[in-house]
Amino acid sequence: MSAGLTARGVVRGFGGIRAVDGVDLAVPPGRITALVGPNGVGKSTLFDCLAGATRPDAGRVLLAGRDITALPDHARARLGLARTFQQVAVFPGLTVEQNVRVGAEQRRGGTARALLGLPAPGRAAARAATDRALRLLDLDPVRDWPADRLPPGTLRLLELARALAAAPRVLLLDEPGAGLDLAQTARLAAVLRALTAEGMALLLVEHDVELVARLADTVYVMAAGRMVARGPAREVLADRRVAAAWGEP
Amino acid sequence: MPGTLDLSIDLALAGLAVGSAAALSGVGLVVTHRVTGVLNLAQGAQATATAYLLRELVVVRNWPLAPAAAFCLLVAAPALGVLLDLAVFRPLRRRDAGQAESMVAGIGVFVLLIGVIVLVWGTTPFGDAPALVPATVLARPGGHALRLDTLVQLAVVLGLAGGVGLVERYTAFGIRLRAVVDNRRLARLAGIDADRISAAGWAFGSFTAGLVGVLLAPLLLLDPYGLPLLVMATMAVAVAARLRSLPVAVATGLGLGIAQSELTRLRPGGQLLPLAQAVQTNLFVVALLVAALLPWGHGQDGPGLATSGGRPGRRGSSAARTACAVLLLLPLGFRPEDLRHALLVPALALVLLSVVVVTGYGGQVSLGQAGYAGLGALGTALLMSGKVPGVPALSAVPALLLAVAATVPLGLLTGWPAVRRRGLALALVTFAVGTALSRLVFDQPYATTGLTVSRLGLPADDQGFYLVELVLLGAGLLLVRSLHRGPPGRALTAMRDHQAGASAAGVDVPRLKLLVFMAGAGLAALGGALTALAQQGFDATAFDPVQGLLWFATVVVAGADSAAGAVLAAALLTGLDAGTLPGVSAVVVGALATAIGRLPGGLAGLARRLADRPAPGLTPLGHRLRRRIAERSR
Repeated sequence: MSAGLTARGVVRGFGGIRAVDGVDLAVPPGRITALVGPNGVGKSTLFDCLAGATRPDAGRVLLAGRDITALPDHARARLGLARTFQQVAVFPGLTVEQNVRVGAEQRRGGTARALLGLPAPGRAAARAATDRALRLLDLDPVRDWPADRLPPGTLRLLELARALAAAPRVLLLDEPGAGLDLAQTARLAAVLRALTAEGMALLLVEHDVELVARLADTVYVMAAGRMVARGPAREVLADRRVAAAWGEP
Repeated sequence: MPGTLDLSIDLALAGLAVGSAAALSGVGLVVTHRVTGVLNLAQGAQATATAYLLRELVVVRNWPLAPAAAFCLLVAAPALGVLLDLAVFRPLRRRDAGQAESMVAGIGVFVLLIGVIVLVWGTTPFGDAPALVPATVLARPGGHALRLDTLVQLAVVLGLAGGVGLVERYTAFGIRLRAVVDNRRLARLAGIDADRISAAGWAFGSFTAGLVGVLLAPLLLLDPYGLPLLVMATMAVAVAARLRSLPVAVATGLGLGIAQSELTRLRPGGQLLPLAQAVQTNLFVVALLVAALLPWGHGQDGPGLATSGGRPGRRGSSAARTACAVLLLLPLGFRPEDLRHALLVPALALVLLSVVVVTGYGGQVSLGQAGYAGLGALGTALLMSGKVPGVPALSAVPALLLAVAATVPLGLLTGWPAVRRRGLALALVTFAVGTALSRLVFDQPYATTGLTVSRLGLPADDQGFYLVELVLLGAGLLLVRSLHRGPPGRALTAMRDHQAGASAAGVDVPRLKLLVFMAGAGLAALGGALTALAQQGFDATAFDPVQGLLWFATVVVAGADSAAGAVLAAALLTGLDAGTLPGVSAVVVGALATAIGRLPGGLAGLARRLADRPAPGLTPLGHRLRRRIAERSR
């Protein structure tokens, strides 16, 4: 069984239309895998099937060899599968630090203890993971800010920090580069490289060709619910048919 | 059997009276919702206000019926609708306010109107509401009495529904209206005055609401709680029509009216009889519950009701806490008759805290907390009276604890539906659950007679009992605090602010929702049980769903996520009720709730913003000094 995340024959339809039609995908550890394609070809649906926001009609999703197809999203997150959203998902009612902390402390068995006023198990570890994620994405200076006062690019980094605080084995990123300035994009690229170097498996859904070319080891190209090409980034991106399918000039 | 058939036809004809009113209510709600995008939650109160006005003009001021009815239905009711649009809903629309705010504003209008009614006409029921059309028997085809009022009502319903359909399809106004229904912003860009169309929608909705009230009032007693609740229950018709289809609304309304009438024939023996009768008289409540539970829109995501913005203001909240402590300790020095009123404060505070936990912290709209409070009170009363099979009559403390413990799992009644619903859909389910509890459980013979509640096992004097209440309130506050801090607090806020994001971060959202509703049920039950012990009796009207709406609006006005705000609000509400005329508290809360759009985070949010304002700038002397220093350095 392969480590990382694997999808086998995933099918998901909406009212007669198969948005995802029998897709195979492998997100191996220590590498950056990119999923590209024009709008409306089922990338987001496939992404949701992998993350657990929707269940596939057919096919299986495996995390480190374990079948997680039937598990809801929070259970997948607790098994080490983290994701970010295309529309940034942060909690405006919490501070930056608390946002990240939410990602770090979702282990079983804490609720009853917390209701009794006892410290939650693994509190020190959660705090350490929070601090590490905040430092990694350069959010330390704003850690006590309310999250709703951050600019959009920083919000995206905050969401990534929350995902990282859970120490995931697999990280699914939905357009992580959108809304970032040049310095933030550079930081993002460096962080993603460092994470893969540590053995994390990364899947990137991204529109920014340059970012994909710069980062990805393997590229999958989707069109009309199916995979139309896959391979090393340089080869796939150089392919004319891929460029045509992608809708790039 | 011809006799049975004859009876069926007679009952069906009788059922058309209520059925056509319900259908009319559905038509009004559907049209208003399509045109304005708002489900008019205040319809019950608008209907009741119009009915009261008509009675006032005809019975008290001796106007002839025709001009009075024309004035009420064609002038007063539409004017009220336009006023509501201008003053309440248009500002919300302009700001693109979320569904939650529109809902609170609607509930605010409801509470405000009920408060005004109580203030002007009191709570004594009137049995002499004038009937619009005389019940003359026109003909007797096959021996069945065909009455004029039935025919007129049917004709009005079908005529209105058909007329709306024709206007939509064949007139220029209808085309503009459909454009607004499809896409308000686009219609506005195309030069359509969407505001005027919305105002027309509100006027029409208010007119139908008034008509519903005027039609229903003669069929039952006119009082500030029963009629609005019945009209609210007829929301079942609009919900069954999924807020879109007029034919479905008309058919459902008429069908439910006939079914209700036919059900009177169902007379099961023994203990089932009261329940069957309760279902029959409250068929619309049951229908609302069913219609809201059937899958339909899951409700929109939208900004919640609580303030965002991270850290609460330190100065603001400590001031609120001090005020709470002072207000709660003050009654210990009261004269006995004033202390008696104050006994209700900690009890009400616990009920309001349950709304804080469910709605403020968890972001789940719950309009049914009064039902849980009632369950706690009823449970205590039953246990103390030895009416629970297999359990001897208990003294106050074990009865109270057992009642609360039994109510906690019942929080799943609204918790389960909440797992898959949000916003309006959830609000309707929780309201229906609260109403069903009130009508099918509390308003039953076993609950209204033969129950004794005493303070056996507790200090008998009011002062001692008040201290016990304070201790229990303190325990409740500790629970609330532990739900607001640390990992559970963060997980709850995450769920409230972004449900999908919370799930993705590993928060078990369904489990957390169930937990929140169970905690809310427990807190409300404790508050209800203390209410019963304070009054030394079980009073079903204290837990009326209309009361529940007032409490919900109160918490939102005070600041949905502020525990201290809830305690202060309980003291102020009780004080207003005891110290002023009945209805004043509802008017105050309702007026503030209609303005919630301009008051984000409620009064607690306002206090926080004031407290968090940067320290005031330099004094005049400071400015002069600064100028001098600047000049010198040049």
